[in-house]
Amino acid sequence: MRALQSPASVHDVLVLDRTELAPGVVLLGFHAPQLAAVTQPGQFVMAVPPGGERAAVALGIYEAQGDRASVMFFVCGPRTREFAGLREGDRFSVSGPLGNGFTLDGAKNVAIVAGGVGIASVLLPAQALVRSHVRTRLFYGARTAELLVDRERFEREGCEVICATDDGSFGHRGFITQALAATEDKPDLILACGPSPMLRATAFVAGELGVAAQLSLEETFACGVGGCWGCVVPLDRNSAQAPGFPGQDEGGSEVVYARICKEGPVFWAHELRW
Amino acid sequence: MVTDVDLSVRIGSLELAYPTLMGSGCYGSGEEFAPFIDLSKIGGVVLKSVTRAPRLGNPTPRLVQTPAGMLNAIGLQNPGIDWYLEHDVAKFASRPCAVIGSVAGFSVDDYAYVAERLAARDEIHALELNISCPNVAAEGETFACDPRLTARVVKTVRATTDKTLIVKLSPNVTDIAGIAREAESAGADALAVINTVRGMAIDVNAWKPRLGNVTGGLSGPAIRPVAVLAVYEVARAVRIPIVGQGGIETASDALEFLLAGASAISIGTGNFTDPRIPVRIVEELHAYLAARGVRSLREIVGKANVGFANPYQYEGDEG
Repeated sequence: MRALQSPASVHDVLVLDRTELAPGVVLLGFHAPQLAAVTQPGQFVMAVPPGGERAAVALGIYEAQGDRASVMFFVCGPRTREFAGLREGDRFSVSGPLGNGFTLDGAKNVAIVAGGVGIASVLLPAQALVRSHVRTRLFYGARTAELLVDRERFEREGCEVICATDDGSFGHRGFITQALAATEDKPDLILACGPSPMLRATAFVAGELGVAAQLSLEETFACGVGGCWGCVVPLDRNSAQAPGFPGQDEGGSEVVYARICKEGPVFWAHELRW
Repeated sequence: MVTDVDLSVRIGSLELAYPTLMGSGCYGSGEEFAPFIDLSKIGGVVLKSVTRAPRLGNPTPRLVQTPAGMLNAIGLQNPGIDWYLEHDVAKFASRPCAVIGSVAGFSVDDYAYVAERLAARDEIHALELNISCPNVAAEGETFACDPRLTARVVKTVRATTDKTLIVKLSPNVTDIAGIAREAESAGADALAVINTVRGMAIDVNAWKPRLGNVTGGLSGPAIRPVAVLAVYEVARAVRIPIVGQGGIETASDALEFLLAGASAISIGTGNFTDPRIPVRIVEELHAYLAARGVRSLREIVGKANVGFANPYQYEGDEG
Protein backbone atom coordinates (compact mmCIF):
# COMPACT_ATOMS: atom_id res chain seq x y z
CA MET A 1 0.00 0.00 0.00
CA ARG A 2 1.20 3.51 -0.64
CA ALA A 3 2.83 4.89 2.44
CA LEU A 4 1.95 8.49 1.74
CA GLN A 5 -1.56 9.69 1.23
CA SER A 6 -2.35 12.09 -1.56
CA PRO A 7 -3.17 15.65 -0.64
CA ALA A 8 -6.87 15.68 0.18
CA SER A 9 -9.27 18.59 0.41
CA VAL A 10 -12.95 19.45 0.16
CA HIS A 11 -14.23 19.93 -3.37
CA ASP A 12 -17.54 21.50 -4.38
CA VAL A 13 -18.31 19.70 -7.58
CA LEU A 14 -20.71 20.03 -10.49
CA VAL A 15 -22.43 16.95 -11.86
CA LEU A 16 -21.45 16.47 -15.51
CA ASP A 17 -23.24 13.24 -16.29
CA ARG A 18 -25.37 10.58 -14.64
CA THR A 19 -25.89 7.15 -16.12
CA GLU A 20 -27.87 4.21 -14.77
CA LEU A 21 -25.67 1.36 -15.96
CA ALA A 22 -28.03 -1.31 -14.65
CA PRO A 23 -31.08 -1.22 -12.40
CA GLY A 24 -29.83 0.45 -9.21
CA VAL A 25 -26.24 0.92 -10.41
CA VAL A 26 -25.45 4.58 -11.02
CA LEU A 27 -22.36 6.22 -12.52
CA LEU A 28 -22.00 9.87 -11.55
CA GLY A 29 -19.43 11.98 -13.34
CA PHE A 30 -18.45 15.37 -11.95
CA HIS A 31 -16.14 18.29 -12.62
CA ALA A 32 -13.22 17.98 -10.20
CA PRO A 33 -9.87 18.71 -11.86
CA GLN A 34 -7.89 18.98 -8.63
CA LEU A 35 -9.27 15.73 -7.29
CA ALA A 36 -8.70 13.93 -10.59
CA ALA A 37 -5.11 15.15 -10.70
CA VAL A 38 -4.06 13.66 -7.37
CA THR A 39 -6.18 10.50 -7.11
CA GLN A 40 -4.29 7.22 -6.78
CA PRO A 41 -5.78 3.85 -7.77
CA GLY A 42 -7.92 2.46 -4.95
CA GLN A 43 -8.69 5.73 -3.18
CA PHE A 44 -12.14 6.97 -2.26
CA VAL A 45 -14.06 10.13 -1.45
CA MET A 46 -16.47 10.99 1.35
CA ALA A 47 -19.42 12.43 -0.52
CA VAL A 48 -21.91 14.68 1.27
CA PRO A 49 -25.50 13.77 0.41
CA PRO A 50 -27.08 16.87 -1.15
CA GLY A 51 -30.33 16.53 0.81
CA GLY A 52 -29.07 17.68 4.21
CA GLU A 53 -29.00 15.90 7.53
CA ARG A 54 -27.21 12.72 6.57
CA ALA A 55 -23.68 11.55 7.14
CA ALA A 56 -21.30 11.56 4.20
CA VAL A 57 -20.88 8.28 2.37
CA ALA A 58 -17.67 6.64 1.17
CA LEU A 59 -17.55 6.04 -2.57
CA GLY A 60 -14.68 4.53 -4.54
CA ILE A 61 -13.28 6.76 -7.24
CA TYR A 62 -14.05 5.04 -10.55
CA GLU A 63 -12.53 7.41 -13.09
CA ALA A 64 -10.12 10.32 -12.70
CA GLN A 65 -9.00 11.96 -15.89
CA GLY A 66 -8.54 15.58 -16.87
CA ASP A 67 -11.29 17.72 -15.38
CA ARG A 68 -13.58 14.81 -14.58
CA ALA A 69 -13.83 12.22 -11.83
CA SER A 70 -16.63 9.76 -11.27
CA VAL A 71 -18.08 7.46 -8.66
CA MET A 72 -20.18 4.36 -9.18
CA PHE A 73 -22.51 2.96 -6.57
CA PHE A 74 -25.39 0.61 -5.94
CA VAL A 75 -28.50 2.32 -4.59
CA CYS A 76 -29.02 0.59 -1.28
CA GLY A 77 -30.24 3.21 1.20
CA PRO A 78 -31.37 6.79 1.71
CA ARG A 79 -27.99 8.34 1.07
CA THR A 80 -27.20 6.55 -2.17
CA ARG A 81 -30.80 7.28 -3.24
CA GLU A 82 -30.06 10.99 -2.81
CA PHE A 83 -26.98 10.73 -4.99
CA ALA A 84 -28.90 8.70 -7.55
CA GLY A 85 -31.36 11.59 -7.80
CA LEU A 86 -28.68 14.06 -8.90
CA ARG A 87 -28.70 15.30 -12.48
CA GLU A 88 -26.33 17.19 -14.78
CA GLY A 89 -25.81 20.70 -13.39
CA ASP A 90 -26.51 19.75 -9.77
CA ARG A 91 -23.85 20.34 -7.13
CA PHE A 92 -22.57 18.37 -4.18
CA SER A 93 -19.34 18.18 -2.23
CA VAL A 94 -16.73 15.54 -1.68
CA SER A 95 -13.70 15.23 0.61
CA GLY A 96 -10.81 13.40 -0.90
CA PRO A 97 -9.02 11.59 -2.26
CA LEU A 98 -8.75 9.47 0.88
CA GLY A 99 -7.10 6.28 2.03
CA ASN A 100 -4.21 4.15 0.88
CA GLY A 101 -4.82 2.47 -2.45
CA PHE A 102 -3.28 -0.41 -4.39
CA THR A 103 0.47 -0.93 -4.70
CA LEU A 104 1.24 -1.89 -8.27
CA ASP A 105 5.05 -1.71 -8.30
CA GLY A 106 6.93 -4.65 -9.73
CA ALA A 107 3.96 -6.73 -10.84
CA LYS A 108 4.16 -8.37 -14.28
CA ASN A 109 0.95 -10.38 -14.41
CA VAL A 110 -1.97 -9.09 -12.41
CA ALA A 111 -5.38 -10.62 -11.78
CA ILE A 112 -8.00 -8.10 -10.68
CA VAL A 113 -11.01 -9.66 -8.99
CA ALA A 114 -14.19 -7.59 -8.84
CA GLY A 115 -17.58 -8.52 -7.47
CA GLY A 116 -20.66 -6.51 -8.35
CA VAL A 117 -20.23 -2.80 -7.77
CA GLY A 118 -16.74 -3.54 -6.41
CA ILE A 119 -15.84 -2.84 -10.02
CA ALA A 120 -16.00 0.83 -8.97
CA SER A 121 -12.57 0.69 -7.33
CA VAL A 122 -10.60 -1.26 -9.92
CA LEU A 123 -10.72 0.75 -13.14
CA LEU A 124 -7.92 3.10 -12.04
CA PRO A 125 -5.50 0.29 -11.12
CA ALA A 126 -6.40 -1.53 -14.35
CA GLN A 127 -5.60 1.56 -16.39
CA ALA A 128 -2.35 2.16 -14.52
CA LEU A 129 -1.25 -1.43 -15.05
CA VAL A 130 -2.09 -1.48 -18.76
CA ARG A 131 -0.24 1.82 -19.18
CA SER A 132 2.82 0.14 -17.67
CA HIS A 133 2.43 -2.78 -20.11
CA VAL A 134 1.54 -5.22 -17.34
CA ARG A 135 -0.57 -8.23 -18.34
CA THR A 136 -3.89 -7.40 -16.68
CA ARG A 137 -6.88 -9.69 -16.40
CA LEU A 138 -10.19 -8.75 -14.85
CA PHE A 139 -12.08 -11.56 -13.12
CA TYR A 140 -15.52 -10.02 -12.87
CA GLY A 141 -18.46 -11.61 -11.09
CA ALA A 142 -22.03 -10.49 -10.56
CA ARG A 143 -25.43 -11.99 -9.91
CA THR A 144 -26.61 -11.61 -13.51
CA ALA A 145 -25.24 -10.53 -16.90
CA GLU A 146 -27.08 -7.23 -16.53
CA LEU A 147 -25.11 -6.39 -13.39
CA LEU A 148 -21.74 -6.93 -15.09
CA VAL A 149 -21.69 -3.19 -15.69
CA ASP A 150 -19.10 -1.50 -17.88
CA ARG A 151 -17.48 -4.85 -18.77
CA GLU A 152 -16.63 -3.68 -22.29
CA ARG A 153 -14.87 -0.64 -20.88
CA PHE A 154 -12.21 -2.86 -19.34
CA GLU A 155 -11.77 -4.68 -22.64
CA ARG A 156 -11.33 -1.36 -24.41
CA GLU A 157 -8.76 -0.35 -21.80
CA GLY A 158 -6.73 -3.42 -22.72
CA CYS A 159 -7.69 -5.95 -20.06
CA GLU A 160 -8.59 -9.53 -20.70
CA VAL A 161 -12.00 -9.94 -19.06
CA ILE A 162 -13.20 -13.22 -17.56
CA CYS A 163 -16.76 -13.19 -16.23
CA ALA A 164 -18.94 -15.27 -13.98
CA THR A 165 -22.58 -14.89 -13.00
CA ASP A 166 -24.61 -16.62 -10.32
CA ASP A 167 -27.26 -17.61 -12.85
CA GLY A 168 -24.90 -18.42 -15.71
CA SER A 169 -26.46 -15.68 -17.88
CA PHE A 170 -22.96 -14.60 -18.92
CA GLY A 171 -19.55 -16.23 -18.59
CA HIS A 172 -18.96 -19.01 -16.08
CA ARG A 173 -21.83 -20.08 -13.88
CA GLY A 174 -20.86 -19.68 -10.24
CA PHE A 175 -18.40 -17.56 -8.31
CA ILE A 176 -15.67 -15.56 -10.01
CA THR A 177 -13.19 -16.83 -7.44
CA GLN A 178 -13.71 -20.34 -8.87
CA ALA A 179 -12.59 -19.02 -12.24
CA LEU A 180 -9.57 -17.43 -10.55
CA ALA A 181 -8.69 -20.70 -8.85
CA ALA A 182 -8.93 -22.56 -12.17
CA THR A 183 -6.61 -20.26 -14.10
CA GLU A 184 -3.56 -21.89 -15.62
CA ASP A 185 -1.77 -18.62 -16.12
CA LYS A 186 -0.75 -17.89 -12.56
CA PRO A 187 -0.67 -14.16 -11.75
CA ASP A 188 2.09 -12.66 -9.59
CA LEU A 189 -0.31 -10.23 -7.90
CA ILE A 190 -4.01 -10.25 -7.16
CA LEU A 191 -6.09 -7.13 -6.48
CA ALA A 192 -9.68 -7.46 -5.31
CA CYS A 193 -12.71 -5.38 -4.46
CA GLY A 194 -16.18 -6.70 -3.80
CA PRO A 195 -18.44 -8.18 -1.17
CA SER A 196 -16.83 -9.61 1.94
CA PRO A 197 -17.44 -13.33 1.08
CA MET A 198 -15.77 -12.78 -2.28
CA LEU A 199 -12.78 -11.08 -0.64
CA ARG A 200 -12.40 -13.94 1.82
CA ALA A 201 -12.60 -16.45 -1.03
CA THR A 202 -10.04 -14.42 -2.97
CA ALA A 203 -7.71 -14.46 0.04
CA PHE A 204 -8.11 -18.23 0.24
CA VAL A 205 -7.44 -18.78 -3.47
CA ALA A 206 -4.45 -16.43 -3.34
CA GLY A 207 -3.08 -18.47 -0.45
CA GLU A 208 -3.56 -21.71 -2.41
CA LEU A 209 -1.86 -20.23 -5.46
CA GLY A 210 0.91 -18.73 -3.35
CA VAL A 211 0.24 -15.28 -4.79
CA ALA A 212 0.13 -12.05 -2.78
CA ALA A 213 -3.25 -10.35 -2.77
CA GLN A 214 -4.38 -6.84 -1.94
CA LEU A 215 -7.98 -6.50 -0.85
CA SER A 216 -9.98 -3.27 -0.86
CA LEU A 217 -12.29 -3.53 2.14
CA GLU A 218 -15.63 -1.91 2.70
CA GLU A 219 -17.22 -1.02 6.02
CA THR A 220 -19.56 1.65 7.31
CA PHE A 221 -17.48 4.80 7.74
CA ALA A 222 -18.44 7.74 9.91
CA CYS A 223 -15.63 10.25 9.43
CA GLY A 224 -13.66 8.57 6.62
CA VAL A 225 -10.45 10.27 7.72
CA GLY A 226 -9.27 8.25 10.72
CA GLY A 227 -10.85 10.38 13.42
CA CYS A 228 -13.47 8.07 14.93
CA TRP A 229 -12.10 4.50 14.87
CA GLY A 230 -15.45 3.15 13.76
CA CYS A 231 -14.38 1.20 10.66
CA VAL A 232 -11.66 -1.07 11.97
CA VAL A 233 -10.48 -4.51 10.87
CA PRO A 234 -8.23 -6.90 12.84
CA LEU A 235 -4.73 -6.79 11.40
CA ASP A 236 -1.44 -8.50 12.22
CA ARG A 237 0.28 -6.04 14.50
CA ASN A 238 3.54 -6.55 12.63
CA SER A 239 1.97 -5.26 9.43
CA ALA A 240 3.52 -2.08 8.07
CA GLN A 241 -0.03 -0.74 8.03
CA ALA A 242 -0.73 -1.43 11.70
CA PRO A 243 -1.53 1.84 13.46
CA GLY A 244 1.49 2.96 15.43
CA PHE A 245 0.67 1.85 18.92
CA PRO A 246 0.32 -1.36 20.88
CA GLY A 247 -3.01 -3.00 20.31
CA GLN A 248 -2.88 -5.66 22.93
CA ASP A 249 -5.64 -6.13 25.44
CA GLU A 250 -5.11 -8.00 28.68
CA GLY A 251 -3.68 -11.07 26.96
CA GLY A 252 -1.10 -9.32 24.76
CA SER A 253 -2.85 -10.06 21.48
CA GLU A 254 -0.92 -10.19 18.22
CA VAL A 255 -3.78 -8.39 16.56
CA VAL A 256 -4.45 -4.70 16.30
CA TYR A 257 -7.53 -2.96 14.94
CA ALA A 258 -6.58 -0.88 11.92
CA ARG A 259 -8.84 1.77 10.44
CA ILE A 260 -10.14 0.76 7.03
CA CYS A 261 -10.55 4.42 6.05
CA LYS A 262 -7.09 5.55 7.16
CA GLU A 263 -4.63 2.64 7.11
CA GLY A 264 -6.66 1.04 4.28
CA PRO A 265 -8.98 0.59 2.51
CA VAL A 266 -6.49 -1.70 0.73
CA PHE A 267 -4.73 -4.32 2.87
CA TRP A 268 -2.52 -7.33 2.14
CA ALA A 269 -4.76 -10.39 2.46
CA HIS A 270 -2.18 -12.38 4.44
CA GLU A 271 -1.98 -9.66 7.10
CA LEU A 272 -5.70 -9.54 7.84
CA ARG A 273 -6.87 -11.44 10.92
CA TRP A 274 -10.61 -11.32 10.21
CA MET B 1 -26.34 46.21 12.80
CA VAL B 2 -22.95 45.79 14.45
CA THR B 3 -19.94 44.38 12.70
CA ASP B 4 -17.77 43.68 15.70
CA VAL B 5 -19.20 40.65 17.46
CA ASP B 6 -17.27 38.91 20.21
CA LEU B 7 -17.62 35.16 19.87
CA SER B 8 -14.93 34.28 22.40
CA VAL B 9 -15.87 32.35 25.50
CA ARG B 10 -14.22 31.43 28.74
CA ILE B 11 -14.62 27.97 30.24
CA GLY B 12 -12.96 27.94 33.64
CA SER B 13 -9.53 29.39 32.93
CA LEU B 14 -9.65 28.24 29.31
CA GLU B 15 -10.03 31.02 26.75
CA LEU B 16 -11.61 30.00 23.47
CA ALA B 17 -11.47 32.28 20.45
CA TYR B 18 -14.63 30.63 19.15
CA PRO B 19 -17.43 28.85 21.01
CA THR B 20 -16.97 25.64 19.02
CA LEU B 21 -15.34 22.52 20.38
CA MET B 22 -14.97 19.31 18.39
CA GLY B 23 -16.43 16.38 20.30
CA SER B 24 -14.21 13.72 21.83
CA GLY B 25 -13.88 10.55 19.80
CA CYS B 26 -15.22 12.23 16.68
CA TYR B 27 -12.24 14.27 15.65
CA GLY B 28 -9.14 12.20 16.34
CA SER B 29 -6.56 14.72 17.46
CA GLY B 30 -7.60 17.34 14.92
CA GLU B 31 -4.94 16.64 12.33
CA GLU B 32 -7.22 14.14 10.60
CA PHE B 33 -9.51 17.01 9.65
CA ALA B 34 -6.82 19.61 8.92
CA PRO B 35 -7.01 19.06 5.13
CA PHE B 36 -10.67 20.07 5.15
CA ILE B 37 -10.94 22.90 7.65
CA ASP B 38 -8.83 25.71 9.07
CA LEU B 39 -8.30 24.59 12.66
CA SER B 40 -7.54 28.17 13.70
CA LYS B 41 -11.22 28.90 13.04
CA ILE B 42 -12.50 26.52 15.71
CA GLY B 43 -12.45 26.92 19.46
CA GLY B 44 -10.75 23.67 20.25
CA VAL B 45 -10.49 19.94 19.88
CA VAL B 46 -11.49 17.52 22.61
CA LEU B 47 -9.13 14.62 22.03
CA LYS B 48 -10.15 11.00 21.95
CA SER B 49 -10.42 9.55 25.45
CA VAL B 50 -7.35 7.89 26.87
CA THR B 51 -7.29 5.24 29.60
CA ARG B 52 -4.64 3.89 31.96
CA ALA B 53 -4.07 0.68 30.01
CA PRO B 54 -4.20 0.23 26.21
CA ARG B 55 -7.59 -0.86 24.92
CA LEU B 56 -8.26 -2.89 21.80
CA GLY B 57 -11.81 -1.57 21.62
CA ASN B 58 -15.05 -3.31 20.73
CA PRO B 59 -15.57 -5.96 18.06
CA THR B 60 -16.96 -4.82 14.72
CA PRO B 61 -19.32 -3.58 13.42
CA ARG B 62 -18.87 -0.45 15.49
CA LEU B 63 -21.12 1.90 13.55
CA VAL B 64 -24.69 1.84 12.28
CA GLN B 65 -26.44 4.63 10.44
CA THR B 66 -29.90 5.26 11.88
CA PRO B 67 -32.61 7.81 11.06
CA ALA B 68 -31.17 11.31 11.56
CA GLY B 69 -28.18 9.93 13.40
CA MET B 70 -25.91 7.02 14.06
CA LEU B 71 -25.10 4.45 16.70
CA ASN B 72 -21.51 3.85 17.67
CA ALA B 73 -19.80 1.42 19.97
CA ILE B 74 -16.07 2.00 19.55
CA GLY B 75 -15.20 0.89 23.08
CA LEU B 76 -12.51 3.45 23.92
CA GLN B 77 -9.85 1.98 21.63
CA ASN B 78 -6.68 3.82 22.64
CA PRO B 79 -2.98 3.19 23.23
CA GLY B 80 -3.02 3.77 26.98
CA ILE B 81 -1.60 6.80 28.79
CA ASP B 82 2.07 5.71 28.72
CA TRP B 83 2.28 5.37 24.96
CA TYR B 84 0.07 8.41 24.49
CA LEU B 85 2.32 10.68 26.53
CA GLU B 86 5.45 9.36 24.91
CA HIS B 87 4.37 9.34 21.25
CA ASP B 88 1.26 11.42 20.67
CA VAL B 89 0.96 14.40 22.99
CA ALA B 90 3.96 16.37 21.69
CA LYS B 91 2.29 16.57 18.27
CA PHE B 92 -0.65 18.49 19.74
CA ALA B 93 1.53 21.55 20.41
CA SER B 94 1.15 22.63 16.79
CA ARG B 95 -2.66 22.84 16.87
CA PRO B 96 -3.80 26.44 16.29
CA CYS B 97 -6.71 26.02 18.70
CA ALA B 98 -7.36 24.82 22.24
CA VAL B 99 -6.47 21.20 22.94
CA ILE B 100 -8.55 19.45 25.58
CA GLY B 101 -7.47 16.05 26.81
CA SER B 102 -10.16 13.47 27.52
CA VAL B 103 -9.80 11.01 30.36
CA ALA B 104 -11.70 7.75 30.73
CA GLY B 105 -11.34 5.03 33.34
CA PHE B 106 -12.78 2.20 35.33
CA SER B 107 -12.03 3.35 38.85
CA VAL B 108 -11.56 6.63 40.66
CA ASP B 109 -7.87 5.82 40.87
CA ASP B 110 -7.68 5.30 37.09
CA TYR B 111 -9.18 8.69 36.41
CA ALA B 112 -6.90 10.46 38.85
CA TYR B 113 -3.79 8.70 37.54
CA VAL B 114 -4.47 9.49 33.88
CA ALA B 115 -5.76 13.01 34.56
CA GLU B 116 -2.74 14.03 36.62
CA ARG B 117 -0.24 12.81 34.05
CA LEU B 118 -2.13 14.28 31.11
CA ALA B 119 -2.76 17.64 32.74
CA ALA B 120 0.93 17.95 33.58
CA ARG B 121 1.69 18.39 29.88
CA ASP B 122 1.82 21.90 28.41
CA GLU B 123 0.29 20.68 25.15
CA ILE B 124 -2.94 19.93 27.01
CA HIS B 125 -4.85 23.10 27.87
CA ALA B 126 -7.77 21.58 29.75
CA LEU B 127 -9.27 18.23 30.66
CA GLU B 128 -12.58 16.62 29.92
CA LEU B 129 -13.60 13.83 32.23
CA ASN B 130 -15.45 11.18 30.24
CA ILE B 131 -17.46 9.54 32.98
CA SER B 132 -20.27 8.74 30.59
CA CYS B 133 -19.06 6.37 27.86
CA PRO B 134 -21.97 3.99 27.22
CA ASN B 135 -19.88 1.49 25.29
CA VAL B 136 -17.61 -0.21 27.79
CA ALA B 137 -18.57 -3.08 30.01
CA ALA B 138 -20.32 -2.13 33.23
CA GLU B 139 -18.16 0.53 34.85
CA GLY B 140 -17.79 3.05 32.00
CA GLU B 141 -21.03 4.94 32.40
CA THR B 142 -21.61 4.03 36.03
CA PHE B 143 -19.82 7.13 37.26
CA ALA B 144 -22.11 9.52 35.44
CA CYS B 145 -25.20 7.57 36.48
CA ASP B 146 -24.49 7.72 40.20
CA PRO B 147 -24.38 11.10 41.97
CA ARG B 148 -22.06 9.86 44.74
CA LEU B 149 -19.58 8.30 42.29
CA THR B 150 -19.69 11.45 40.17
CA ALA B 151 -18.83 13.49 43.23
CA ARG B 152 -16.00 11.17 44.24
CA VAL B 153 -14.31 10.96 40.86
CA VAL B 154 -14.59 14.71 40.20
CA LYS B 155 -13.28 15.59 43.66
CA THR B 156 -10.33 13.23 43.32
CA VAL B 157 -9.39 14.44 39.85
CA ARG B 158 -9.89 18.06 40.88
CA ALA B 159 -7.15 17.62 43.45
CA THR B 160 -4.67 16.56 40.76
CA THR B 161 -4.79 19.65 38.53
CA ASP B 162 -5.61 23.34 38.38
CA LYS B 163 -6.35 23.20 34.67
CA THR B 164 -9.93 23.63 33.54
CA LEU B 165 -11.90 20.50 34.29
CA ILE B 166 -14.95 19.75 32.15
CA VAL B 167 -17.12 16.85 33.26
CA LYS B 168 -19.08 15.10 30.52
CA LEU B 169 -22.51 13.97 31.67
CA SER B 170 -24.68 11.10 30.50
CA PRO B 171 -28.26 11.61 29.35
CA ASN B 172 -29.02 8.05 30.43
CA VAL B 173 -30.09 9.06 33.93
CA THR B 174 -33.27 9.98 35.74
CA ASP B 175 -32.07 13.31 37.12
CA ILE B 176 -29.25 14.92 35.14
CA ALA B 177 -29.60 18.18 37.09
CA GLY B 178 -28.88 16.38 40.37
CA ILE B 179 -25.75 14.82 38.95
CA ALA B 180 -24.69 18.18 37.51
CA ARG B 181 -24.98 19.72 40.99
CA GLU B 182 -22.76 16.99 42.45
CA ALA B 183 -20.12 17.59 39.77
CA GLU B 184 -20.22 21.34 40.43
CA SER B 185 -19.92 20.92 44.20
CA ALA B 186 -17.00 18.53 43.70
CA GLY B 187 -15.06 21.16 41.81
CA ALA B 188 -15.90 20.85 38.10
CA ASP B 189 -15.21 24.04 36.14
CA ALA B 190 -17.70 23.19 33.43
CA LEU B 191 -20.06 20.47 32.24
CA ALA B 192 -20.33 18.86 28.83
CA VAL B 193 -23.96 18.02 28.16
CA ILE B 194 -24.61 15.40 26.75
CA ASN B 195 -22.79 12.21 25.85
CA THR B 196 -24.61 9.77 23.54
CA VAL B 197 -28.00 8.26 24.28
CA ARG B 198 -27.97 4.48 24.66
CA GLY B 199 -29.51 2.67 21.75
CA MET B 200 -29.71 -0.53 19.75
CA ALA B 201 -30.48 -1.61 16.22
CA ILE B 202 -31.32 -5.12 15.05
CA ASP B 203 -30.79 -6.75 11.67
CA VAL B 204 -34.18 -8.32 10.98
CA ASN B 205 -32.79 -10.65 8.33
CA ALA B 206 -29.92 -11.99 10.41
CA TRP B 207 -31.90 -11.81 13.69
CA LYS B 208 -28.99 -10.27 15.51
CA PRO B 209 -27.87 -6.86 16.77
CA ARG B 210 -26.25 -4.63 14.19
CA LEU B 211 -23.43 -3.61 16.54
CA GLY B 212 -20.69 -5.99 17.63
CA ASN B 213 -21.14 -4.61 21.12
CA VAL B 214 -24.93 -5.19 20.89
CA THR B 215 -25.71 -1.74 22.32
CA GLY B 216 -24.26 1.62 21.38
CA GLY B 217 -24.54 5.35 21.78
CA LEU B 218 -26.88 7.36 19.57
CA SER B 219 -25.67 10.70 18.23
CA GLY B 220 -26.66 13.17 15.53
CA PRO B 221 -29.76 15.29 14.95
CA ALA B 222 -31.91 12.47 16.34
CA ILE B 223 -30.85 13.37 19.89
CA ARG B 224 -30.84 17.15 19.57
CA PRO B 225 -34.11 17.84 21.43
CA VAL B 226 -33.02 15.45 24.19
CA ALA B 227 -29.76 17.36 24.50
CA VAL B 228 -31.35 20.81 24.43
CA LEU B 229 -33.63 19.82 27.30
CA ALA B 230 -30.71 18.39 29.26
CA VAL B 231 -28.79 21.67 28.85
CA TYR B 232 -31.87 23.63 29.86
CA GLU B 233 -32.31 21.57 33.01
CA VAL B 234 -28.63 21.59 33.94
CA ALA B 235 -28.37 25.34 33.35
CA ARG B 236 -31.05 25.90 35.96
CA ALA B 237 -29.22 23.70 38.45
CA VAL B 238 -25.63 24.96 38.27
CA ARG B 239 -23.67 28.21 37.90
CA ILE B 240 -20.66 26.79 36.00
CA PRO B 241 -20.51 26.98 32.18
CA ILE B 242 -22.04 24.27 30.03
CA VAL B 243 -20.70 22.95 26.72
CA GLY B 244 -23.85 21.92 24.87
CA GLN B 245 -23.73 19.07 22.41
CA GLY B 246 -25.97 16.64 20.59
CA GLY B 247 -26.75 16.79 16.87
CA ILE B 248 -25.55 20.33 16.18
CA GLU B 249 -25.12 20.93 12.45
CA THR B 250 -26.11 24.57 11.92
CA ALA B 251 -25.94 27.93 13.68
CA SER B 252 -29.64 27.59 14.40
CA ASP B 253 -28.98 24.30 16.18
CA ALA B 254 -26.13 25.91 18.11
CA LEU B 255 -28.35 28.83 19.10
CA GLU B 256 -30.90 26.46 20.63
CA PHE B 257 -28.18 25.20 22.97
CA LEU B 258 -26.87 28.67 23.75
CA LEU B 259 -30.34 30.01 24.49
CA ALA B 260 -31.03 26.96 26.65
CA GLY B 261 -28.01 27.87 28.76
CA ALA B 262 -24.85 26.55 27.11
CA SER B 263 -21.84 28.89 27.00
CA ALA B 264 -20.19 26.95 24.20
CA ILE B 265 -21.11 24.10 21.91
CA SER B 266 -19.47 20.95 20.69
CA ILE B 267 -19.77 19.35 17.28
CA GLY B 268 -19.26 15.63 16.84
CA THR B 269 -21.31 13.67 14.34
CA GLY B 270 -21.91 16.84 12.33
CA ASN B 271 -18.32 16.71 11.18
CA PHE B 272 -19.14 13.43 9.46
CA THR B 273 -21.89 15.11 7.48
CA ASP B 274 -19.62 17.88 6.31
CA PRO B 275 -16.24 18.81 7.82
CA ARG B 276 -16.88 22.49 7.08
CA ILE B 277 -19.82 22.69 9.50
CA PRO B 278 -17.85 24.18 12.45
CA VAL B 279 -16.56 27.12 10.41
CA ARG B 280 -19.95 27.67 8.82
CA ILE B 281 -21.57 27.77 12.26
CA VAL B 282 -19.15 30.44 13.46
CA GLU B 283 -19.80 32.57 10.37
CA GLU B 284 -23.55 32.20 10.72
CA LEU B 285 -23.50 32.92 14.47
CA HIS B 286 -21.56 36.07 13.74
CA ALA B 287 -24.10 37.17 11.15
CA TYR B 288 -27.04 36.29 13.39
CA LEU B 289 -25.73 38.30 16.32
CA ALA B 290 -24.61 41.22 14.17
CA ALA B 291 -28.03 41.46 12.55
CA ARG B 292 -29.61 41.71 15.99
CA GLY B 293 -27.15 44.21 17.37
CA VAL B 294 -25.77 41.74 19.89
CA ARG B 295 -22.11 42.48 20.56
CA SER B 296 -21.16 39.36 22.43
CA LEU B 297 -22.24 35.74 22.26
CA ARG B 298 -22.17 35.71 26.07
CA GLU B 299 -25.21 38.02 26.11
CA ILE B 300 -27.55 35.36 24.75
CA VAL B 301 -26.54 32.43 26.96
CA GLY B 302 -29.60 31.04 28.72
CA LYS B 303 -31.90 33.71 27.30
CA ALA B 304 -34.57 31.37 25.99
CA ASN B 305 -37.72 33.17 27.11
CA VAL B 306 -39.79 30.31 28.37
CA GLY B 307 -42.60 32.54 29.62
CA PHE B 308 -45.80 30.69 30.29
CA ALA B 309 -44.52 27.68 28.42
CA ASN B 310 -42.24 26.90 31.35
CA PRO B 311 -43.52 23.61 32.72
CA TYR B 312 -42.04 24.41 36.10
CA GLN B 313 -44.35 27.37 36.49
CA TYR B 314 -47.29 25.07 35.84
CA GLU B 315 -46.35 22.55 38.48
CA GLY B 316 -49.43 21.78 40.53
CA ASP B 317 -51.55 23.96 38.29
CA GLU B 318 -54.67 22.10 37.27
CA GLY B 319 -55.21 24.39 34.29
